[in-house]
Amino acid sequence: MRWRLWALVPAILLVGVVSATVAAGDSLDGLVGNAPPPADEFDVRRVEFAPGTISIHITNPQREHLTLAQVTVDDAIVPFSIDGVRGARTLGRLESATVSVPFFWVEDDPYAIGLISSTGIVTTHDVPAAVATEQPSLHGAVGLAVIGILVGVVPIALGLAWLPSLRRASPRSLAAFMALTAGLLTFLMVEALAEALELQARLPGALNGTGLVVLGVASSYLGLTLVASRLSGSGSGLGGVGLATLVAIGIGVHNLGEGLAIGSSLALGELALGAFLIVGFMVHNVTEGLGIAAPVADGAARVSPGRLAGLALVAGAPAVLGAWIGGFLTNDLLAVLFFGMAAGAALQVVVEVGRYVARRAPGGLTSGPVVGGYLAGIVAMYATGLLTA
Amino acid sequence: MRVTRRRLLAGAPIVASAPLAAMALTDAYGSDTHMMDGHLMSAADMAGMHASMIGDAVPAPDGPDLILEPPAGHEPGPVRSYELVATEKDIEVAKGVFYPAWAYGLAGGPPTVPGPTIRVTEGQRMRVRLLNASSHPHTIHFHGIHPSNMDGVFEMVDPGATFTYEFPAAPAGLHLYHCHATPLKKHIAKGLYGALIIDPKTPRPPAQELVMVMNGYDTNGDGANEFYTVNGRAFYYARHPIRVSRSRTVRIYLVNVTEFDLINSFHLHGEFFRYYPTGTTDRFEYTDTVMLCQGQRGIVEIDFKNTGHFMFHAHVSEFTELGWMGFFEVAD
Repeated sequence: MRWRLWALVPAILLVGVVSATVAAGDSLDGLVGNAPPPADEFDVRRVEFAPGTISIHITNPQREHLTLAQVTVDDAIVPFSIDGVRGARTLGRLESATVSVPFFWVEDDPYAIGLISSTGIVTTHDVPAAVATEQPSLHGAVGLAVIGILVGVVPIALGLAWLPSLRRASPRSLAAFMALTAGLLTFLMVEALAEALELQARLPGALNGTGLVVLGVASSYLGLTLVASRLSGSGSGLGGVGLATLVAIGIGVHNLGEGLAIGSSLALGELALGAFLIVGFMVHNVTEGLGIAAPVADGAARVSPGRLAGLALVAGAPAVLGAWIGGFLTNDLLAVLFFGMAAGAALQVVVEVGRYVARRAPGGLTSGPVVGGYLAGIVAMYATGLLTA
Repeated sequence: MRVTRRRLLAGAPIVASAPLAAMALTDAYGSDTHMMDGHLMSAADMAGMHASMIGDAVPAPDGPDLILEPPAGHEPGPVRSYELVATEKDIEVAKGVFYPAWAYGLAGGPPTVPGPTIRVTEGQRMRVRLLNASSHPHTIHFHGIHPSNMDGVFEMVDPGATFTYEFPAAPAGLHLYHCHATPLKKHIAKGLYGALIIDPKTPRPPAQELVMVMNGYDTNGDGANEFYTVNGRAFYYARHPIRVSRSRTVRIYLVNVTEFDLINSFHLHGEFFRYYPTGTTDRFEYTDTVMLCQGQRGIVEIDFKNTGHFMFHAHVSEFTELGWMGFFEVAD
C-alpha cells in the first residue's frame, strides 16, 4: 500500500509550490522587466438582431480582467445592459456575457458595433448587413429540417439507386468504385480538417483550439474503430453491408458538420440560401450515395430496401441535426469539435476502405482502376463542390 | 421491433426535436417590451432615451465642476499671479472609461482637463509660474501678444524645473494656452490646455459668465477621438444641466482645443445668440450655430426668452453622440 501513498507526494509538492508562487506574486513580476499592458479587446462571438434590440455575445479572451464601460453603434454612445443589468461590468478570464442594446436598426444596413473597455480600448465588430435573427420556432425548425433532408437524405438515397448497376459491374470496376469512395472520403476529411482549423483560429487562444481539433479527430477515429470492430465481429475484416454502414456513419458525421455550417450561416444572415445553392449541395452529395452503394454491391448478401433506407438515413439525417444545432445554438467550440470529429471519422473510414480494397481488388491497392477511381472520387467532389462555392 | 444502432441513429433527429419544440412554445424573444431598471418600457421609449438623455438616467462621470465658473475679473493691482503645476493624472473622461491624462492644475488644487482658466485685465502684468511635476518636459504657450522668450516654444521646462512667464496682458478678448512641447499632437491631446480671458479695461456688461472648452479624447491611440466633451467629461451637462436665469444675459467664453478633428461647432436649441469671434471687437454674428477650428474661440452671449430645458451641442452629430452635449435649465 505504501507505494500508493508515495504517489501522492508529487501532487502535494505541486500544490505547495503553486501556493508559494501565487503568494510571492508581484515580486516575481519585476524579475524580467516590464510586461506590456493587456490588449483589453473583447471577443465578439455573435451579434443578433431582434425587433428593437441588438444583442451582442461577448467573451473576455485574456488572462486579465476586462471591464466593459461603454458601447457604441455607428459611432454613437448607446444605453446598454449586460445580462439584464445596466452599467459597466467586469468580466473575468474567459467569462462570457450578453450585451443588450435597445436600438431601432434598419434592415440590410451595415452597422459598426464598438465595445469600449474601462481603459478606453475600442473593439469594433462590423456587421455587413443587419438581418433579423431567426428565433427558435417550430416554423424555423421545420424549415431547417426540410433543407437538411433535401441536402442530406435525398441525394444519398438517389446515389444508392446506382446499386443495381453496380452489382452487375466487373470486379475491376467495382474496385474502382470502392476507390472512388475512398477518394471522396479523403476529400471530405481534408475539407473538414481545414474547416476545423479555420474555426479554431477564431476562438480565444486560451481555449487551445488546435487541441480541440486533435481531440475531435482522435475521439471520432477511435470511436469508429470500435464500431468497425463490433460490426466485423469475426475479425476477418469489414466488408459488404458492414463496411457500407461504416461509410454511412463517416459520411453522416461529415453531413452533421455540413448541416451545422448551413444552419449557423443562415442564422447569422451570412448565407443567401437560394434554390441554386440547394441544388449544388444535392449534386455534391449524390456522389456520397454512390460511395455507400459500392461496398454494398461488392457484398454477397442481398440487402433489403429497409436496410438501404436505414443507410441513407444514417448518412443523411445528421444534416438535419446539424442544421438545427447550427441554426439555434451557435457555439464556436462545439463547431470546432464537430468538424474535427468529421475529419477523424472520414479518415477512419478511408483506412477501412483501403484495407478492403487491398484485400479484394484484382491487382491490389496500386492497380490502375484503384488509383484512377481514387482520383476520380476527388475530382468528382471538387467539381460538384464548385456548385456550392 | 428490435432496437438496432441504425434505428437509434435514424431516430435521433426526432428525439432532438423535443427541446426545440419546447423552445418554440416559450416566446423567448420577439416582444417589443424590455425590462430595464425593473420597469417595463416599450422599445419606443428606450430608443428615445438615447437622443434626449437628461438627469440621472445619463451615464456621466461624477465629481465637482471646477471649470464652468471663471475666476472673478478685474482684480486690482499691477500684477495678477498664477501658479500652475503640470502633472500626470488618470481621469474619468466618460462613465467608466479612464484616460491617463497630462493636466495643469492650480498649485494646491487638483489637476484638471481642461486646465484652470487664467484671467487678467488688459494692461495688467500677467505672471504665470509653471512647475513641472511630471516625467516629460512641458511648456505653456499663450495665445496673445508677448515677447518671443515668453512664448513657450524654445524654453523647455524639464521635469522638476520651474519657469515664470511674465508680460503685460494683451490683447483684450478670449484666448487660450496650451503646452507647446513636441510631439505637438500628443502634448495637446493629452490634456495640457485651458482658457485665457483678458478683460478689456472697460468691463463688459454684467452677465452670468461660463467657460466652455471643447475637447476630445483619443483613448486608444489610433489618432482619432473616441469621446468628445465640453469641459472634460462626456455628457456631464446632460446629467447636470446648467442652471441659468432668463432675466440676465448668459455669457459663454467658448474655446475649441479638439485635436485630430478639423472642426468643432456649437449649436444652441430654442434661442439665438450673439457671437463675438475671439472677443476682440464688438461686431457680432447673430446665429444659433458657429464653427470653430482648433485654437479658435469666441464669446457667446445669450438672452433667453423662454424657460425650460434647452440642449446645446456640437452640430457635428457624431461629436454629440460621443459626449459633447448638455442642457441649459432656464428659469426666471
